[in-house]
Amino acid sequence: MSSDFSPVDSSNLSRLSDKDKTELRQIMTNEEQKARVQASVHSLTDICFRKCITGTIRNGKLDKNEEGCMANCADRFVDVSHLTLKHLQNMRG
Amino acid sequence: MESETVKSEVIKQVKAQYAIDNARQLIDKVNEHCFEKCVPKPGASLSSSEQTCFTQCMEKYMAAWNQVSATYIRRIQQEH
Repeated sequence: MSSDFSPVDSSNLSRLSDKDKTELRQIMTNEEQKARVQASVHSLTDICFRKCITGTIRNGKLDKNEEGCMANCADRFVDVSHLTLKHLQNMRG
Repeated sequence: MESETVKSEVIKQVKAQYAIDNARQLIDKVNEHCFEKCVPKPGASLSSSEQTCFTQCMEKYMAAWNQVSATYIRRIQQEH
């Protein structure tokens, strides 16, 4: 895979125009944010899989109960995250 | 290299790096969960039922991941 990439070193980076630099900064910010969302999804799936997929695995699909459980689990986790934040804000007074 | 080329090269590498990172996280979790579920008593080799279970578990985990992703993204879009 590394053979697909041309080396990008500081001498190449210095050739970036101001306009391209600004655009790159925006793209980096977007990619960072996307990565944070992905990390949260990984963490949530980890937790909810354990809660919702119990018993033996019989096939590769989610049945209706499992599907509903995963969705509820994610939703309720977001709800409690808000509670935590609110509680912390109240503590700060 | 001129600016446009440098820019697209950087973008390509950054996106690839994040994609690798994402895949690694997924693989780690699939291995952990599906080993737990499908290989409760590790033997001298993987039986064919253990292998079948593992394949089904992988598919199930990815379906679960997609469900969580859709739900989570909907919520964070709402709260903006």
